[in-house]
Amino acid sequence: MNKIQYIILFIAALLFSNCNTNDDGFYNSVFASVPNLVTIQPHATSYNVGEKLYINSDFSRYLNENGKILDAFKTTGASGFYFSYVIEKQINATTWEVVSVNDNQLDIVKGNAQNGSYVYAICDYNTVTETYEYSVGFPLLSTGTFRLSFGYNSDSINSVELRSLSPATRLILNINTIITGLDTNGYYNFTVN
Amino acid sequence: MKKLFYLIFLLPLALLAQDNTILANKKNEFRIDILSAIVFAKASLSYERFIGKDFSTGLNANFSYNNKLNEDFDNGYRNNNPKFEFNPYLRYALSKSKSRYYFAEFFGSYNGGDYKEIIRLTENNIDYYTTYKSKYTDYGFGGSLGYKMYFHDSIALEFIVGFGKNLTNRNKSPDVISRVGFNLGYRF
Repeated sequence: MNKIQYIILFIAALLFSNCNTNDDGFYNSVFASVPNLVTIQPHATSYNVGEKLYINSDFSRYLNENGKILDAFKTTGASGFYFSYVIEKQINATTWEVVSVNDNQLDIVKGNAQNGSYVYAICDYNTVTETYEYSVGFPLLSTGTFRLSFGYNSDSINSVELRSLSPATRLILNINTIITGLDTNGYYNFTVN
Repeated sequence: MKKLFYLIFLLPLALLAQDNTILANKKNEFRIDILSAIVFAKASLSYERFIGKDFSTGLNANFSYNNKLNEDFDNGYRNNNPKFEFNPYLRYALSKSKSRYYFAEFFGSYNGGDYKEIIRLTENNIDYYTTYKSKYTDYGFGGSLGYKMYFHDSIALEFIVGFGKNLTNRNKSPDVISRVGFNLGYRF
Protein backbone atom coordinates (compact mmCIF):
# COMPACT_ATOMS: atom_id res chain seq x y z
CA MET A 1 0.00 0.00 0.00
CA ASN A 2 1.66 3.25 -1.05
CA LYS A 3 1.41 6.68 0.56
CA ILE A 4 -1.32 7.92 -1.78
CA GLN A 5 -3.55 5.02 -0.84
CA TYR A 6 -2.99 5.73 2.86
CA ILE A 7 -3.92 9.36 2.33
CA ILE A 8 -7.03 8.50 0.31
CA LEU A 9 -8.11 6.01 2.94
CA PHE A 10 -7.54 8.55 5.73
CA ILE A 11 -9.51 11.28 3.93
CA ALA A 12 -12.29 8.83 3.17
CA ALA A 13 -12.31 7.85 6.84
CA LEU A 14 -12.79 11.46 7.88
CA LEU A 15 -15.54 12.00 5.30
CA PHE A 16 -17.42 8.92 6.35
CA SER A 17 -16.99 9.74 10.01
CA ASN A 18 -18.81 13.01 9.32
CA CYS A 19 -21.68 11.13 7.71
CA ASN A 20 -22.90 10.36 11.19
CA THR A 21 -23.72 14.01 11.77
CA ASN A 22 -26.30 14.24 9.00
CA ASP A 23 -28.95 14.49 11.66
CA ASP A 24 -27.57 17.83 12.77
CA GLY A 25 -30.06 20.64 12.75
CA PHE A 26 -31.78 23.05 15.03
CA TYR A 27 -33.88 21.12 17.45
CA ASN A 28 -34.20 23.92 19.97
CA SER A 29 -36.47 26.37 18.14
CA VAL A 30 -40.22 26.82 18.42
CA PHE A 31 -42.37 29.32 16.59
CA ALA A 32 -45.42 31.41 17.33
CA SER A 33 -47.42 34.11 15.58
CA VAL A 34 -48.87 36.86 17.73
CA PRO A 35 -49.85 40.21 16.16
CA ASN A 36 -49.00 43.73 17.28
CA LEU A 37 -46.30 43.07 19.87
CA VAL A 38 -44.16 45.87 18.41
CA THR A 39 -45.46 49.35 17.60
CA ILE A 40 -44.18 52.56 16.15
CA GLN A 41 -45.25 55.21 18.63
CA PRO A 42 -48.14 57.20 17.07
CA HIS A 43 -46.98 60.47 15.53
CA ALA A 44 -47.63 62.46 12.41
CA THR A 45 -45.30 61.26 9.65
CA SER A 46 -43.62 64.64 9.82
CA TYR A 47 -41.14 65.23 12.64
CA ASN A 48 -38.97 68.16 13.63
CA VAL A 49 -35.22 68.02 14.08
CA GLY A 50 -34.47 67.10 17.69
CA GLU A 51 -37.55 64.92 18.08
CA LYS A 52 -37.25 61.20 18.61
CA LEU A 53 -38.88 58.30 16.85
CA TYR A 54 -39.99 55.79 19.47
CA ILE A 55 -40.35 52.06 18.92
CA ASN A 56 -42.24 50.27 21.66
CA SER A 57 -42.87 46.70 22.65
CA ASP A 58 -44.58 45.61 25.81
CA PHE A 59 -46.00 42.14 25.95
CA SER A 60 -46.91 39.64 28.61
CA ARG A 61 -45.11 36.33 29.05
CA TYR A 62 -48.57 34.85 28.42
CA LEU A 63 -49.01 35.22 24.67
CA ASN A 64 -52.41 34.91 23.07
CA GLU A 65 -51.79 32.64 20.14
CA ASN A 66 -55.08 32.33 18.24
CA GLY A 67 -57.04 32.02 21.47
CA LYS A 68 -54.56 29.68 23.14
CA ILE A 69 -52.28 31.03 25.81
CA LEU A 70 -48.59 30.26 25.41
CA ASP A 71 -46.21 30.90 28.30
CA ALA A 72 -43.14 32.42 26.65
CA PHE A 73 -41.12 32.58 29.86
CA LYS A 74 -41.80 28.99 30.93
CA THR A 75 -40.93 27.84 27.41
CA THR A 76 -37.66 29.72 27.15
CA GLY A 77 -36.50 30.99 30.53
CA ALA A 78 -35.48 34.02 28.48
CA SER A 79 -34.31 37.22 30.08
CA GLY A 80 -35.34 39.07 26.92
CA PHE A 81 -36.42 39.00 23.30
CA TYR A 82 -34.54 40.79 20.57
CA PHE A 83 -35.37 42.23 17.18
CA SER A 84 -33.77 44.74 14.85
CA TYR A 85 -34.66 47.72 12.73
CA VAL A 86 -32.95 50.15 10.42
CA ILE A 87 -33.48 53.86 9.85
CA GLU A 88 -32.33 55.22 6.50
CA LYS A 89 -32.14 58.67 4.99
CA GLN A 90 -32.78 59.38 1.33
CA ILE A 91 -29.69 60.75 -0.40
CA ASN A 92 -31.13 60.96 -3.91
CA ALA A 93 -33.97 59.37 -5.92
CA THR A 94 -32.55 55.86 -5.64
CA THR A 95 -30.03 55.94 -2.79
CA TRP A 96 -30.69 55.52 0.89
CA GLU A 97 -28.07 55.80 3.61
CA VAL A 98 -28.24 54.09 7.01
CA VAL A 99 -28.55 56.62 9.82
CA SER A 100 -26.39 55.78 12.78
CA VAL A 101 -26.02 57.49 16.15
CA ASN A 102 -24.05 56.75 19.28
CA ASP A 103 -25.72 54.46 21.80
CA ASN A 104 -25.74 57.25 24.37
CA GLN A 105 -27.87 59.37 22.02
CA LEU A 106 -30.67 56.77 22.11
CA ASP A 107 -33.43 57.54 24.60
CA ILE A 108 -33.71 54.20 26.36
CA VAL A 109 -36.90 54.25 28.42
CA LYS A 110 -37.32 50.49 28.74
CA GLY A 111 -35.27 47.55 27.58
CA ASN A 112 -31.95 48.02 25.87
CA ALA A 113 -30.62 49.00 22.46
CA GLN A 114 -27.37 49.11 20.56
CA ASN A 115 -26.91 51.06 17.36
CA GLY A 116 -24.59 50.19 14.51
CA SER A 117 -25.65 49.48 10.95
CA TYR A 118 -29.01 48.66 12.54
CA VAL A 119 -30.64 49.05 15.93
CA TYR A 120 -30.35 45.87 17.98
CA ALA A 121 -33.37 46.07 20.25
CA ILE A 122 -33.79 44.02 23.42
CA CYS A 123 -37.10 43.68 25.25
CA ASP A 124 -36.03 43.05 28.84
CA TYR A 125 -38.09 40.78 31.09
CA ASN A 126 -39.72 42.58 33.99
CA THR A 127 -40.15 40.00 36.74
CA VAL A 128 -42.68 42.16 38.60
CA THR A 129 -45.10 42.75 35.75
CA GLU A 130 -44.12 39.52 33.96
CA THR A 131 -43.81 41.41 30.71
CA TYR A 132 -41.11 41.91 28.11
CA GLU A 133 -40.54 45.62 27.66
CA TYR A 134 -38.89 47.92 25.14
CA SER A 135 -39.26 51.62 24.53
CA VAL A 136 -36.42 53.45 22.83
CA GLY A 137 -36.38 56.79 21.04
CA PHE A 138 -34.12 57.31 18.06
CA PRO A 139 -32.96 60.94 17.73
CA LEU A 140 -33.71 62.68 14.44
CA LEU A 141 -30.77 64.99 13.98
CA SER A 142 -31.11 66.26 10.43
CA THR A 143 -33.78 67.24 7.95
CA GLY A 144 -34.76 65.03 5.06
CA THR A 145 -36.83 62.06 3.96
CA PHE A 146 -36.41 58.92 6.06
CA ARG A 147 -37.70 55.40 6.25
CA LEU A 148 -37.67 52.69 8.89
CA SER A 149 -37.79 48.93 8.29
CA PHE A 150 -37.67 45.78 10.39
CA GLY A 151 -36.29 43.52 7.71
CA TYR A 152 -32.57 43.75 8.38
CA ASN A 153 -32.33 40.23 9.75
CA SER A 154 -35.42 38.83 8.07
CA ASP A 155 -37.25 38.70 4.76
CA SER A 156 -40.57 39.72 6.23
CA ILE A 157 -42.10 42.99 5.00
CA ASN A 158 -45.13 43.31 7.25
CA SER A 159 -43.95 41.77 10.49
CA VAL A 160 -41.21 41.83 13.07
CA GLU A 161 -39.35 38.71 14.10
CA LEU A 162 -38.67 38.53 17.81
CA ARG A 163 -36.26 35.91 19.06
CA SER A 164 -35.81 34.90 22.67
CA LEU A 165 -32.52 35.32 24.50
CA SER A 166 -32.69 31.90 26.09
CA PRO A 167 -30.12 30.20 28.30
CA ALA A 168 -27.90 27.76 26.37
CA THR A 169 -29.83 24.57 26.90
CA ARG A 170 -33.34 26.06 26.78
CA LEU A 171 -35.68 26.40 23.83
CA ILE A 172 -35.58 29.47 21.60
CA LEU A 173 -38.97 31.00 20.84
CA ASN A 174 -39.33 32.86 17.55
CA ILE A 175 -42.35 35.14 17.47
CA ASN A 176 -43.59 36.55 14.21
CA THR A 177 -45.61 39.66 14.97
CA ILE A 178 -47.46 41.68 12.36
CA ILE A 179 -46.92 45.41 12.73
CA THR A 180 -49.14 48.18 11.42
CA GLY A 181 -47.99 51.40 9.79
CA LEU A 182 -45.69 49.93 7.15
CA ASP A 183 -46.18 50.40 3.41
CA THR A 184 -46.38 47.48 0.97
CA ASN A 185 -42.58 47.33 0.77
CA GLY A 186 -42.21 47.09 4.53
CA TYR A 187 -41.22 50.72 5.25
CA TYR A 188 -42.48 53.35 7.62
CA ASN A 189 -41.87 56.58 5.71
CA PHE A 190 -41.49 59.95 7.41
CA THR A 191 -39.91 63.34 6.96
CA VAL A 192 -37.90 65.50 9.32
CA ASN A 193 -38.16 69.27 9.00
CA MET B 1 21.88 -18.79 -12.79
CA LYS B 2 19.34 -21.30 -11.59
CA LYS B 3 20.21 -20.47 -7.98
CA LEU B 4 19.75 -16.78 -8.67
CA PHE B 5 16.35 -17.50 -10.25
CA TYR B 6 15.26 -19.41 -7.15
CA LEU B 7 16.53 -16.69 -4.89
CA ILE B 8 14.74 -13.88 -6.71
CA PHE B 9 11.44 -15.53 -7.61
CA LEU B 10 10.80 -18.45 -5.36
CA LEU B 11 12.16 -17.29 -2.03
CA PRO B 12 9.55 -14.50 -1.57
CA LEU B 13 6.81 -17.00 -2.48
CA ALA B 14 8.19 -19.45 0.06
CA LEU B 15 8.33 -16.76 2.74
CA LEU B 16 4.76 -15.68 1.87
CA ALA B 17 3.57 -19.27 2.16
CA GLN B 18 5.33 -19.57 5.50
CA ASP B 19 3.68 -16.33 6.73
CA ASN B 20 0.31 -17.50 5.46
CA THR B 21 0.71 -20.80 7.27
CA ILE B 22 1.66 -19.17 10.56
CA LEU B 23 -1.24 -16.74 10.38
CA ALA B 24 -3.65 -19.40 9.16
CA ASN B 25 -3.00 -21.31 12.36
CA LYS B 26 -3.98 -18.32 14.46
CA LYS B 27 -7.76 -18.15 14.35
CA ASN B 28 -8.62 -15.38 16.80
CA GLU B 29 -7.97 -11.68 17.01
CA PHE B 30 -8.81 -8.84 19.38
CA ARG B 31 -8.57 -5.20 18.34
CA ILE B 32 -8.98 -1.75 19.80
CA ASP B 33 -9.78 1.30 17.67
CA ILE B 34 -7.21 4.01 18.35
CA LEU B 35 -8.81 6.59 16.02
CA SER B 36 -12.21 6.36 17.71
CA ALA B 37 -10.68 6.53 21.16
CA ILE B 38 -8.61 9.63 20.45
CA VAL B 39 -10.83 11.58 18.05
CA PHE B 40 -14.36 10.56 19.01
CA ALA B 41 -13.98 9.59 22.70
CA LYS B 42 -15.44 6.24 21.77
CA ALA B 43 -14.36 2.86 23.11
CA SER B 44 -14.42 0.51 20.15
CA LEU B 45 -13.44 -3.13 20.68
CA SER B 46 -13.51 -5.91 18.12
CA TYR B 47 -13.18 -9.65 18.04
CA GLU B 48 -12.53 -11.54 14.81
CA ARG B 49 -12.63 -15.28 14.18
CA PHE B 50 -10.96 -16.55 11.02
CA ILE B 51 -12.92 -19.27 9.28
CA GLY B 52 -11.84 -20.99 6.08
CA LYS B 53 -9.39 -19.58 3.58
CA ASP B 54 -10.73 -16.12 2.91
CA PHE B 55 -13.56 -15.54 5.34
CA SER B 56 -13.72 -14.26 8.87
CA THR B 57 -16.49 -13.17 11.16
CA GLY B 58 -16.64 -11.13 14.33
CA LEU B 59 -18.24 -8.59 16.53
CA ASN B 60 -17.45 -4.92 17.05
CA ALA B 61 -18.78 -3.10 20.11
CA ASN B 62 -18.72 0.69 20.56
CA PHE B 63 -19.50 2.78 23.60
CA SER B 64 -19.50 6.53 23.20
CA TYR B 65 -19.12 9.42 25.60
CA ASN B 66 -18.27 12.35 23.38
CA ASN B 67 -18.45 15.76 25.07
CA LYS B 68 -18.97 17.56 21.76
CA LEU B 69 -21.93 15.32 20.89
CA ASN B 70 -23.32 15.69 24.40
CA GLU B 71 -23.04 19.48 24.15
CA ASP B 72 -24.62 19.58 20.70
CA PHE B 73 -27.41 17.36 21.95
CA ASP B 74 -28.05 19.53 25.02
CA ASN B 75 -27.90 22.74 22.98
CA GLY B 76 -30.33 21.43 20.41
CA TYR B 77 -27.99 21.12 17.43
CA ARG B 78 -28.91 17.46 17.08
CA ASN B 79 -31.86 15.47 18.31
CA ASN B 80 -30.09 12.18 18.95
CA ASN B 81 -26.94 11.15 20.73
CA PRO B 82 -25.65 7.66 19.88
CA LYS B 83 -24.33 5.81 22.92
CA PHE B 84 -23.66 2.24 21.84
CA GLU B 85 -23.35 0.03 18.77
CA PHE B 86 -22.98 -3.73 18.40
CA ASN B 87 -21.85 -4.60 14.90
CA PRO B 88 -21.58 -8.26 13.91
CA TYR B 89 -19.71 -8.63 10.63
CA LEU B 90 -18.60 -11.03 7.94
CA ARG B 91 -15.39 -10.34 6.03
CA TYR B 92 -13.89 -11.53 2.82
CA ALA B 93 -10.18 -11.17 2.11
CA LEU B 94 -9.58 -9.61 -1.32
CA SER B 95 -5.83 -10.31 -1.49
CA LYS B 96 -3.88 -13.56 -1.58
CA SER B 97 -1.42 -12.66 1.15
CA LYS B 98 -2.54 -13.29 4.70
CA SER B 99 -0.07 -10.81 6.17
CA ARG B 100 -1.16 -7.74 4.18
CA TYR B 101 -4.50 -7.68 2.47
CA TYR B 102 -7.57 -5.70 1.53
CA PHE B 103 -10.91 -6.91 2.72
CA ALA B 104 -14.59 -6.24 2.16
CA GLU B 105 -17.07 -6.50 4.96
CA PHE B 106 -20.81 -6.75 5.43
CA PHE B 107 -21.99 -5.68 8.85
CA GLY B 108 -25.19 -5.51 10.82
CA SER B 109 -25.80 -3.03 13.58
CA TYR B 110 -27.80 -2.85 16.73
CA ASN B 111 -27.39 0.68 18.05
CA GLY B 112 -28.99 3.04 20.50
CA GLY B 113 -28.71 6.23 22.45
CA ASP B 114 -30.62 9.28 23.65
CA TYR B 115 -33.33 11.07 21.72
CA LYS B 116 -34.83 14.48 22.35
CA GLU B 117 -38.04 16.00 21.02
CA ILE B 118 -39.96 19.20 21.59
CA ILE B 119 -43.45 18.76 22.99
CA ARG B 120 -46.23 21.21 23.82
CA LEU B 121 -47.90 20.72 27.18
CA THR B 122 -50.82 22.41 28.90
CA GLU B 123 -50.89 23.27 32.58
CA ASN B 124 -53.82 25.19 34.09
CA ASN B 125 -55.01 26.04 30.56
CA ILE B 126 -51.65 27.62 29.73
CA ASP B 127 -49.47 26.00 27.09
CA TYR B 128 -45.71 25.80 27.04
CA TYR B 129 -43.06 24.00 25.04
CA THR B 130 -40.46 21.80 26.60
CA THR B 131 -38.04 19.07 25.61
CA TYR B 132 -38.60 15.43 26.36
CA LYS B 133 -35.70 12.97 26.44
CA SER B 134 -36.06 9.27 25.75
CA LYS B 135 -33.96 6.32 24.60
CA TYR B 136 -33.90 4.89 21.10
CA THR B 137 -32.63 1.67 19.58
CA ASP B 138 -32.43 0.70 15.94
CA TYR B 139 -31.19 -2.00 13.58
CA GLY B 140 -29.25 -1.43 10.42
CA PHE B 141 -26.71 -2.86 8.03
CA GLY B 142 -23.93 -1.65 5.79
CA GLY B 143 -20.63 -2.39 4.10
CA SER B 144 -17.00 -1.53 4.65
CA LEU B 145 -13.65 -1.76 2.96
CA GLY B 146 -10.38 -2.04 4.76
CA TYR B 147 -6.73 -2.89 4.72
CA LYS B 148 -4.97 -5.03 7.26
CA MET B 149 -1.32 -5.79 7.87
CA TYR B 150 0.50 -7.98 10.39
CA PHE B 151 3.81 -7.50 12.09
CA HIS B 152 5.67 -10.32 13.84
CA ASP B 153 2.84 -12.65 12.81
CA SER B 154 0.65 -11.37 15.64
CA ILE B 155 0.36 -7.60 15.78
CA ALA B 156 -2.40 -6.34 13.50
CA LEU B 157 -2.85 -2.86 12.11
CA GLU B 158 -6.11 -2.23 10.33
CA PHE B 159 -7.80 0.66 8.53
CA ILE B 160 -11.48 0.39 7.88
CA VAL B 161 -14.00 2.72 6.24
CA GLY B 162 -17.65 1.93 5.83
CA PHE B 163 -21.16 3.12 6.32
CA GLY B 164 -24.65 1.77 6.59
CA LYS B 165 -28.24 2.78 7.17
CA ASN B 166 -30.49 2.39 10.11
CA LEU B 167 -33.76 0.75 9.19
CA THR B 168 -36.54 0.61 11.72
CA ASN B 169 -36.52 3.76 13.85
CA ARG B 170 -35.03 6.50 11.71
CA ASN B 171 -37.29 9.25 13.02
CA LYS B 172 -35.27 8.94 16.22
CA SER B 173 -31.99 7.25 15.31
CA PRO B 174 -29.25 8.63 13.02
CA ASP B 175 -29.96 7.86 9.37
CA VAL B 176 -26.39 6.85 8.67
CA ILE B 177 -24.14 4.54 10.64
CA SER B 178 -20.47 5.13 10.01
CA ARG B 179 -17.88 2.49 10.61
CA VAL B 180 -14.48 4.10 10.56
CA GLY B 181 -11.46 2.90 12.41
CA PHE B 182 -7.74 2.62 12.79
CA ASN B 183 -7.37 -0.55 14.81
CA LEU B 184 -4.48 -2.10 16.64
CA GLY B 185 -4.91 -5.80 17.35
CA TYR B 186 -3.40 -9.05 18.50
CA ARG B 187 -3.90 -12.33 16.67
CA PHE B 188 -3.47 -15.64 18.44
